[in-house]
Amino acid sequence: MMETYFRPITIVVELAILMAVIYSLFAAVDFVLLDLGLNQKYQKFIKLVLMIMGCLALVFFVAHLFAFYPRQSMMSKYPG
Amino acid sequence: MKVFLPILMGFLILLVGLVALFIFSFRRQHYRLWHLGKDENRSVHVSARLKTLFAVTFANLRIWDRKESYPGSMHFLIFWGTLLIFLGKIVRLFSYPVGLALPPQNIFLDASFVSEAGGVLVLIGGCMAIIRRYIIKPPRLETKPDRTLIFIWGFALIVTGYLIKGFRMAAMGVPVPPDWFSWAPVSYMVSRLSLVLPTAPLNELLVWHRVLIHALPAILFFAYVIVSHSPLKHSFLSPLNIFFRSLKQKGILEPIPNFEEAETYGAKEITELTWKQLLDLEACTNCGRCQDACPAHLTEKPLSPRRMTQNLKQHLWREGPRLLSLPPDQRPSEPVMETTVGDEELWACTTCMACEEACPVYVEQVRRNVELRRYLVLVETKFTSDIRLAFKNMQQNSNPWGLPRNTRTEWTKDLGIKKYAEETDPEILFWVGCAGSFDARNQKVATALVKILQACGIRFGILGTAEGCCGDSARRMGNEYLFSTLAAGNIETMKGCNVKKILSMCPHCFHTLKHEYPQFGGEFEVLHYTQFLGDLLSQGRLKLTKPIEQVITYHDSCYLGRGNELYELPRRIIQSIPGLKLVEMERNRKRSFCCGAGGGRMWMEEKIGTRINQMRTDHAIETRAALVGTACPYCLTMLGDGVKEKGKEESMAVFDLSELVERSME
Repeated sequence: MMETYFRPITIVVELAILMAVIYSLFAAVDFVLLDLGLNQKYQKFIKLVLMIMGCLALVFFVAHLFAFYPRQSMMSKYPG
Repeated sequence: MKVFLPILMGFLILLVGLVALFIFSFRRQHYRLWHLGKDENRSVHVSARLKTLFAVTFANLRIWDRKESYPGSMHFLIFWGTLLIFLGKIVRLFSYPVGLALPPQNIFLDASFVSEAGGVLVLIGGCMAIIRRYIIKPPRLETKPDRTLIFIWGFALIVTGYLIKGFRMAAMGVPVPPDWFSWAPVSYMVSRLSLVLPTAPLNELLVWHRVLIHALPAILFFAYVIVSHSPLKHSFLSPLNIFFRSLKQKGILEPIPNFEEAETYGAKEITELTWKQLLDLEACTNCGRCQDACPAHLTEKPLSPRRMTQNLKQHLWREGPRLLSLPPDQRPSEPVMETTVGDEELWACTTCMACEEACPVYVEQVRRNVELRRYLVLVETKFTSDIRLAFKNMQQNSNPWGLPRNTRTEWTKDLGIKKYAEETDPEILFWVGCAGSFDARNQKVATALVKILQACGIRFGILGTAEGCCGDSARRMGNEYLFSTLAAGNIETMKGCNVKKILSMCPHCFHTLKHEYPQFGGEFEVLHYTQFLGDLLSQGRLKLTKPIEQVITYHDSCYLGRGNELYELPRRIIQSIPGLKLVEMERNRKRSFCCGAGGGRMWMEEKIGTRINQMRTDHAIETRAALVGTACPYCLTMLGDGVKEKGKEESMAVFDLSELVERSME
């Protein structure tokens, strides 16, 4: 019973983690490009491109997650 | 096993890739950059270096401090948590191929618990770090976006780690034995909340999905740390800097090699620093502890040791790759001064070593600052008129006060002091120093010390007018030429008198004679008077019986304390005086605060911000002591001035310890 109650929360947590991972990956690309000597004037453009790519990745992964999460009613009961 | 074998293989392949990336990046981004600097031998005494490396790294020795318990415990939790995670993960990963995982052996289960506990430690330490950086916000911390990235990434990795294990437990499709809670408490709780799909293949896909969410960013995270200028690089740069630290006492300066033949002196360009000084720049973690200890920074001077190091690091990163792309003989570089370090910033340093004492990774600031000063003084001859006057005085009269050299012994009238060469079988040479010889207040200290020596029946002598300035200020102000001339003259005089043992009343003379004269062939046994009096007290030759019913606070001189680690002896002398009650200032011993006179600052005007001596006087006033004790002529002068400037002459007096000892003698 408790498990069913907490499942929506775990889904939210997983989404938050997904967002954190995607943010980290694309922010890191931004920092590495600057570290490697990319001209500062391209920074805004790079940030914009990375943000769009990040959003697309998030949409893709959320869709992917939904494929694994059938409707709550179809979920099997926790075996333990 | 079916699931883990491919993971193990993938891990090993990626590990090889990461190691290769690390080697390539280390050579390109660090090793070649450091070797733009000058040579310096830091490889001797490997066992001593290793010992400190392990002690400092694993116990986080330099990070723990009474005043730094929050950041200290925070770093300790993150450091040990990370170490435990790695330990547990590696043991578990390699348990599969050697059959320790199925059925799970104790070592496998222990490793599971270790990595779970490690994750919890990192999460607690990480939360503490987030609270400190984003809520408490101490002024010394600089928060750049890459710091936020590291927090988010770190938390995502730990939490996804727990999720995978939890999902794996839940996806087994059988009731999870409750005793698993003992071996994987966090993951077990996650497993109780996890979604399980109706079929086994779907469950396996689900596990793989989570593994990817965890493993992919984990690998990319390490690649990011390796490739970028991430602050997390301190995980290997700090231990390297600790290993190659200086094994000498703090504050010892090195002579300029081949002085006669050198074409330039000091450091104008970043390549004129040594490779270790360049490593120092990269190893600086930007923690800001040096800044919190720096008397110049705390009195609003334009110097922050942290900022200076960080700016020089940026200079190195900017200039280094460009220089490396040119042939070695065609590498003109931007000068460090003006572009990266300001004149006032550089001259604000009192060489008090507080920054070096506070630094968790042994960054050496003082020597680097003096190298920059050497260039300004010896090559550019660019310095203020007060510095010029001090140099002129030392050069012409062999004392920074500029008083005629032949008046050096005027204070000895009626004291019956013999010249060292005239004393029969002298035990020790009393090195008076310029302050004791020329400054009226310090002449009283020299007189008190002479009376103590005479009362104890010590056979001693002085050099008289043959004594010259020891050159401490000249050297720390960057005038190595003047220093070497003064040192050579004094060494010749002392050798001519067959001096073996020297007693100094000034910590600056003491430090220079003891540690720096040997660089010029002057090997003598040098004692500060507190050491000598300490010996006389323990031998019972000096008896202190007259009480002084006062409360005293002791100010540690930088060159006696941090420079020579003489913290307890002066306090023992104070405690030997009946009636005298010692109270400590907030900043004492290794955390003591400079009086503002070191590094040649004694001879420079202090126009910016609060005067350092006034801030130190405030520290003394806070103790409500009636007396301030010190064992350094510069500190005596500066604190004496501080008390006057604060209008506290009626309630507070500044004394040298030798004066108090003389008053308390039988």
